[in-house]
Amino acid sequence: MNLKISALEYIQEIKTGNISVEDFVAKTIEQIQNVDGKLHAFLSVNEEAIDQARGIDKKIKSGGKVGSCFGMPISIKDNICIKNSKTTCASKMLENFIAPYDATVIKKLKQQDAIFVGKVNMDEFAMGLSTEFSAFGPSKNPWDTDYVPGGSSGGSAVSVSAFECVASLGSDTGGSVRNPASFCSTVGYKPTYGLISRYGLISYANSIEQIGPLTRTVKDSAFMLNMISGIDPNDNTTVDNKNEDYLSGIESGIEGKRIGIIKEMIGDGIDPAVLSATKDAISKLESLGAVCEEISLDMVKYSVAAYYTITATEAGSNLARYDNLRYGYDFPLEGYEFNSYISKARRNFGPEVTRRMIIGGFVPSAGHAGKYFLKALKVKSKLIKEINEAFKKFDFLVSPTVPILPFKIGEKIDDPISLFLVDINTVTANLTGKPAISIPFANSNGLPIGIQLMADSMNDKSLLQAAYALEQTVSLPEVPI
Amino acid sequence: MVTEDEIKHVSKLMRIDIDDHNEYVDKVKSMIGYFDILDSAGVESEEISMPEISISNLRKDEYIPFDDRLIEKLNHYKGTYVRAPKMSS
Repeated sequence: MNLKISALEYIQEIKTGNISVEDFVAKTIEQIQNVDGKLHAFLSVNEEAIDQARGIDKKIKSGGKVGSCFGMPISIKDNICIKNSKTTCASKMLENFIAPYDATVIKKLKQQDAIFVGKVNMDEFAMGLSTEFSAFGPSKNPWDTDYVPGGSSGGSAVSVSAFECVASLGSDTGGSVRNPASFCSTVGYKPTYGLISRYGLISYANSIEQIGPLTRTVKDSAFMLNMISGIDPNDNTTVDNKNEDYLSGIESGIEGKRIGIIKEMIGDGIDPAVLSATKDAISKLESLGAVCEEISLDMVKYSVAAYYTITATEAGSNLARYDNLRYGYDFPLEGYEFNSYISKARRNFGPEVTRRMIIGGFVPSAGHAGKYFLKALKVKSKLIKEINEAFKKFDFLVSPTVPILPFKIGEKIDDPISLFLVDINTVTANLTGKPAISIPFANSNGLPIGIQLMADSMNDKSLLQAAYALEQTVSLPEVPI
Repeated sequence: MVTEDEIKHVSKLMRIDIDDHNEYVDKVKSMIGYFDILDSAGVESEEISMPEISISNLRKDEYIPFDDRLIEKLNHYKGTYVRAPKMSS
């Protein structure tokens, strides 16, 4: 049984009867049992997965209507609600929280007969970019287990890369899908803001975060997008994509397309191997018929500070609901006054979440809002203007997804500023609401490098076409697990 | 420059009970210190643009029955009331 197939290959194999859903799902669970002790991608595994697979096999055999996933095993980041299963956000605060409803994306995938093999690890409340801030311990990079897998959707990327599922859903607030995709050599897609419903995604920074797929191929991301995108009455920030088919025409190519190379994303601090891979990617895009030219986006150098100011503020508000009365974590009520009870309970947040909540209280406060929060919003507004201008001239923008290679576990954990700067190339897409994708492109001394392409809002289809074209130029080694 | 007292005050307002303030103060100060880069962005005259959501895009305000008894998922409740700690000492 070959677990290394793409989602579309899996569906083909099931349709032709070469494999059964039960066999594939059982083998996937066996793979999780074999490798996850070392990688720690999963926080919980669905014990009913094989029974569910059997049910789908029965439907197929009896000629019943089967959803387009055909029992495909998918992992889900542990901040997306699946009814009646634990949703912890990798936090002690929600260690025992059982979601009472399905997120919209989960509902849509259930309708298409997807099987959720388990919930995967992340930085606590998605605050981080290495998965080291999970309250349940870090995930490890399958390419080298001494290294971080990126984050915050690190468990998602590890599970796809290590063949513990065929695809995964993560969430991307400042690069949390694309960063681990780059570090683990998978495709990671952050859609246009509003393309995918956030209903049932536990909020961190609502104004910029999006759910996105992590897959083995660009076509698989397009396939996932077909199933989970579209307007949702439960999320009034969603946009009507008129049932766009992201797979059709994906092989259209990029002949004649204009691509801007963002100067600020290949400057100071970039790893030489990443720079070399980026130059190689630009050459390949040109050889495919695209016209590439440098462009400057002045606000990019302020984007990380603006991003952390805005997200900390929204997090400070969103996380106020964790008062130990409504969700999960629990200790006896007796002997406490109301406020001291809540303050004591909130000690169960991990150190990074605590730091960001303190910042989230500080930067929008009366004496400091003008210096920090309002200025961050102004930077965001100016960045949107700059990027909208850029898209008048260019069809796509290119950069490395992350300016450095994956780093060792523990290497940066005590240096918040150096961690901040890992986000420099990814936060722009979130602050401006633009779609962006990370494509596995190169490998330097056994560590993966991803290339990021960005497009204008609602141009997700053409972005996937460009990403597919670039993907076809690449031949990468197999993950050494 | 951010002071230690300000950070202590904010953590209290955010209802975060911290034993060892020093553990947090240095990192939080360095993080907020990094945000000073915003001063050189030259955006003072920039208008803040906020996305507008049309009220026609809101779902209908209608009753949808929910079969689960959500209150039973809480650890402290009596009848239809949530049990909470005392409001004052």
